[in-house]
Amino acid sequence: MRRITADEIRKFILSRLQGQLEAKGLSPSSVPDDFDLLTEGVVNSMGMVELVVAVEQQFATRLDFEELDPENLTIVGPLCKYIEERSGTGNLAGHEGMLGRL
Amino acid sequence: MLRTLHSGFLRSTELFPGRPAIEVEGSILTYQQLFTRSASIAATLQRRAPVAEPPLTAIFAYRSVTAFAGVLAALFRGHGYVPLNRTFPSDRTRTMLLRSGCTSMVVDQDSAHQLDEILQSMDQPMLVVMPDEVDVVELSYRWPGHTFVGCTDLESPGTWQSVSVQPNSIAYLLFTSGSTGMPKGVMVSHSNVTHFVDVMVERYEINENDRFSQNFDMTFDLSAFDMFVAWERGACVCCPKAKNLISPGRFIQNSALTVWFSVPSAGVFMKRLGLLEANRYPNLRWSLFCGEALPSDIAQNWAAAAPNSIVENLYGPTELTIACTLYRWDQEKSPAECYLGMVPIGMPYPGMNTLIVRDDLTEVAPGEVGELLLTGPQLSLGYWQDAERTAAAFVIPDRHKETYYRTGDRVRRPLGEKDPIVYVGRADHQVKVLGHRLELSEIEAVLKQQPGVDSAVAVGWPVTTSGANGVVAFVTGTKVKEGALRDSVAATLPAYAVPREIKVLTQFPLNMNGKVDRRALCSMLEAEL
Repeated sequence: MRRITADEIRKFILSRLQGQLEAKGLSPSSVPDDFDLLTEGVVNSMGMVELVVAVEQQFATRLDFEELDPENLTIVGPLCKYIEERSGTGNLAGHEGMLGRL
Repeated sequence: MLRTLHSGFLRSTELFPGRPAIEVEGSILTYQQLFTRSASIAATLQRRAPVAEPPLTAIFAYRSVTAFAGVLAALFRGHGYVPLNRTFPSDRTRTMLLRSGCTSMVVDQDSAHQLDEILQSMDQPMLVVMPDEVDVVELSYRWPGHTFVGCTDLESPGTWQSVSVQPNSIAYLLFTSGSTGMPKGVMVSHSNVTHFVDVMVERYEINENDRFSQNFDMTFDLSAFDMFVAWERGACVCCPKAKNLISPGRFIQNSALTVWFSVPSAGVFMKRLGLLEANRYPNLRWSLFCGEALPSDIAQNWAAAAPNSIVENLYGPTELTIACTLYRWDQEKSPAECYLGMVPIGMPYPGMNTLIVRDDLTEVAPGEVGELLLTGPQLSLGYWQDAERTAAAFVIPDRHKETYYRTGDRVRRPLGEKDPIVYVGRADHQVKVLGHRLELSEIEAVLKQQPGVDSAVAVGWPVTTSGANGVVAFVTGTKVKEGALRDSVAATLPAYAVPREIKVLTQFPLNMNGKVDRRALCSMLEAEL
């Protein structure tokens, strides 16, 4: 499977959240890597989960967050990097995914 | 010793002084250590508090040692505790503090930053105990009318004087959101909670080896389960950081939890994040859910992920003390008992009695839907300094002698005595659209079944004097097309129930307790007018 880059994921996530970011006076390009989407109030917990589901659907993959420190789940840089790494290892869990069992 | 909410903790301190009582902020406190800390704060409150004050102490602390020690200290001095929450807007916290009339407050380190805002409109001299602060000179200088006590001025725990507490005095005063916007303080007594705790420790055979999750903020009454059910039998309360609540998989494993208790949403999040795979949590003995309707697929997935645990769905408003009905999930037989994909709320706790009624408070026939009323030892004392709203919600139906609490929840009365009560929806989520009575939860359930839809909320809109002219729905999901969605819904629902508009959002606004904020959704519609 093609490796998805952290940059692609970052672009997708931030463009999806553009409205919420603008409401806070931010633009997608001005968001630093250590920006915490949850504590900065850009998404709430439900929005965070919706975001993950959207990433999965966009990139036709199923993600498993077992290995990601929950502390980092909502921080832009580590989150995108994690998804990139998982996509490269073939460790994308295939169960129940859009593509069914891989 | 009289039976009180904290007597279980005191007994466990005698029986298991060296066992862990809490794990929070990366540190472990034994029963003896937590007792010492709490007794020291209690002694300070006893010594320094203003002479005339209501029997209530505010705890302005969040997921910290001081939060737990503060709660116990309030109880040790014979007061009820009033939990405050720094993640709430400070205006709201100030309203709660003012309404409670508290003049003593325990504050932890990270909540102290909001003190200046909170103290602004306090005319009464306050005693503010800050066990995490060395230096309170600046605060004392800024607020000369109030007294601040830092950690170096705490009294020794040995000076704490045990107080006799009446069973019907307030154990905690908890402010609920209140659909009108003004928070209502629910007065819950010692005997209310000890009845609940007794039922729980026996049912779940809690012992000193158990390890409880503490997912709920203290401003959510379900947190009282975590603390007092665990402490009653010497178990340990494991409090995760707020962030872990979205993705608690590691927390369950690393903390070796045996008792899990959360809102069903936590299970929904975990399923989405791939954290509910089979046999992932073999240590759990009990998996308990409360606070909102439990979707049957979450119960099913959780039961597989924690195969050695029993899954139970608990139900109850704050006014009936934490939870008052429950249902045990059974992988074989339960799916057939679910309604609109939701797990039944089951049977009342021992000692609690239900009544399912029409608008005029007369009982509906078996199989019919009505409002759920309950009475029994967990019936709380009513709303703090609000006789009017207490009288409206705590009623004596005709031909009955006991006072019942009106839950505002619509349920189906079981046909047989052993059948579970099934939750249908909130009474205030039932609307009349052009004269037709509609359960909004039914529309939501149909929407959620459509491909691509993750969650759905329906509201009656636009609002009229007799109800609403139609329904507007909000959904979250991916690749959802409004037109196609409406067409498929129209194939299932009668025309008047089909949403005239379906709005796709990236996320729902949530209220203080993490539930979908319907009022905020209606405000969005109002803003469009």
